[in-house]
Amino acid sequence: MSSTEQSKTKLNQTPTTQRMSWIHKGELTLIERLSANILKAGPMPKHVAFIMDGNRRYARKLHVERQQGHTQGFDKLAETLRWCLNLEIREVTVYAFSIENFKRAKDEVDGLMELARQKFSRLLDEQEDLEKHGVCIRVLGDLTLLPLDIQKLIAQAVLATKHHNKCFLNVCFAYTSRHEITNAVKEAAWGVEQGLIKPSDVSEFLLDECLYTNNSPDPDLLIRTSGEVRLSDFLLWQTTYSCLVFQSILWPEYSFWNLCEAILQYQLNHQALQKARDQHAEARVLQQLEADRCCAADLLQQTGLGKPVDPQLRQEALQKYTAEREERVHSFLTALQEKRDRFFTDLNKGFIASAKA
Amino acid sequence: MAAPLRIGMRRSMRITQKAFFTECIMAVVYEFVWRMLHALLHLQRTLLSWNWRLWRRAMTAVLVPTVFGFQNHPHNNKKLIPTGGKKSCCRVLWKSDGKSLEKLPLHIGLLIAEEETRYTDIANLVVWCMAVGISYVSVYDNQGIFRRNSSRLMDEILKQQQELLGLDSLKYSVEFLNNSNDKPEQQVLSCQATVKVLSPDDGKTGIVTAAQKFCQLVEQQQKRSSDLDVNMLDSMLRGTKGMPDPDLVMKFGTVDSTLGFLPWHIRLTEIISFPSHINITYKHFFSALKCYAGCEQRLGK
Repeated sequence: MSSTEQSKTKLNQTPTTQRMSWIHKGELTLIERLSANILKAGPMPKHVAFIMDGNRRYARKLHVERQQGHTQGFDKLAETLRWCLNLEIREVTVYAFSIENFKRAKDEVDGLMELARQKFSRLLDEQEDLEKHGVCIRVLGDLTLLPLDIQKLIAQAVLATKHHNKCFLNVCFAYTSRHEITNAVKEAAWGVEQGLIKPSDVSEFLLDECLYTNNSPDPDLLIRTSGEVRLSDFLLWQTTYSCLVFQSILWPEYSFWNLCEAILQYQLNHQALQKARDQHAEARVLQQLEADRCCAADLLQQTGLGKPVDPQLRQEALQKYTAEREERVHSFLTALQEKRDRFFTDLNKGFIASAKA
Repeated sequence: MAAPLRIGMRRSMRITQKAFFTECIMAVVYEFVWRMLHALLHLQRTLLSWNWRLWRRAMTAVLVPTVFGFQNHPHNNKKLIPTGGKKSCCRVLWKSDGKSLEKLPLHIGLLIAEEETRYTDIANLVVWCMAVGISYVSVYDNQGIFRRNSSRLMDEILKQQQELLGLDSLKYSVEFLNNSNDKPEQQVLSCQATVKVLSPDDGKTGIVTAAQKFCQLVEQQQKRSSDLDVNMLDSMLRGTKGMPDPDLVMKFGTVDSTLGFLPWHIRLTEIISFPSHINITYKHFFSALKCYAGCEQRLGK
């Protein structure tokens, strides 16, 4: 049987209930478990990001409808999440729908929105399972671009799983990295408008915290399937020191061994990337110190004490300035988190209200 | 304590001890297999890298005197000075190579992710880019080494330009940009290519600087936070020189990462990797361009 025929047979055999679930039930085979244990002897990525590319090409290959390709793609996601849990990879981020994808044909976009509706509704039905596994679902993107009913479903799902902390699934929906970075700068500007922070407080650390992914560490590993070798506006800021693995397999055909191959690649790159990351972190600390020093010196000058010569005075001013800056940034980030939480709770109230009506 | 209970407890303790012992043994076995696997993979990678460099060097040594005679190999004592005819032959060949491709990148980024750097090889790459018809070339490493040694790199590029392109090298003049704020290092009459030397400061730090500038405008009430959109931030990051986004990044070295290279600008950039830039040949450089010409960008559609 050719691989195309095998895939088609599998498509028809998978039971509907298993196809709908967000995390596949089932354990690894013996060989898979042995391989997983061998891999786990080395450094394992704690956060993996996936660009799940190739659904439409897969559908063309099997001569089925595009929508089938997307459904299979979702199924593969559920399977991959199961493998990640088995490999103790606690955080996964996936690129489900880009803002650029709105440019596609209307029927395809509508089909994808309908799939999202089904999946997020299903998620709400599976709350017990999600609580059992401690799965926290976050949806990242400009959700205001989505139909209101999907926004409300998402809000429910996010709020229902907010306090789970065993593993994390971040779904990028109506997302592009440039929009995310622009939004982060806008949030910082909002902070300045509100008088919470000064423009000089804006730093790499602050922008990190203003991104949609502020609650997650940077991905250790980014995997893109279907053979394309670009990032397509996905996590551009967060993946600067991530291991990038481009695999030619189409997403619905992804296997446990493909995942192991990617993890091996991560392990080979681990030391070099750790070194580069540490160097960057050191440089960042020095940059911040230098910036604080300049600001503290400016302040001393402004208080009319002339050019400050006394190193003791300068040191005290620096420490005071740094403490104040950190305080400002902390209150700003608290306010930002409250603003974000309010977005979901307001949506949810609307959802409950409309459900009661 | 009753005897059966004691026996039961002892039995369960033996089973637990046995299970613990088995687990320890298995952990050692897994670690051993893992180390063996990684030793093999590292060996394979090292061999590939050596093979790449040695093979390139061997090819250069064999082909150079017989075919083109243009590579000034650092390990050769003889300096092979090409004749004017051969240089113009290369130039025409490279230009036609560029024209033969379905699409050519407007801007190529050369990402050197290796500890060892050879300025001659990088200069060759830059000159080939120019000869084939690329308008913008960036050179990047994640420690800012090229930034600090940009004059040395510039000298090497000018030298290789003369070596490889000969008398008509003035037509392929180069504008060097070290810093978006600096004036160009060399002002030329007919500018055919722009070479920019980049470091991590042009990446995230650049975005932070743009963010601070925007926040200052907001503080001065010249703008509102809601005024910012992707296009505005993009034009702030592009600056006055306005280099287009890199269409293609050629990454040299065995590290599988962009290592901080222009995160904002590489959203649609194709990334093609080579084991090393040392002794890189034109053939491999061109194969990357062919690969780029063949790729399909659907842009979300």
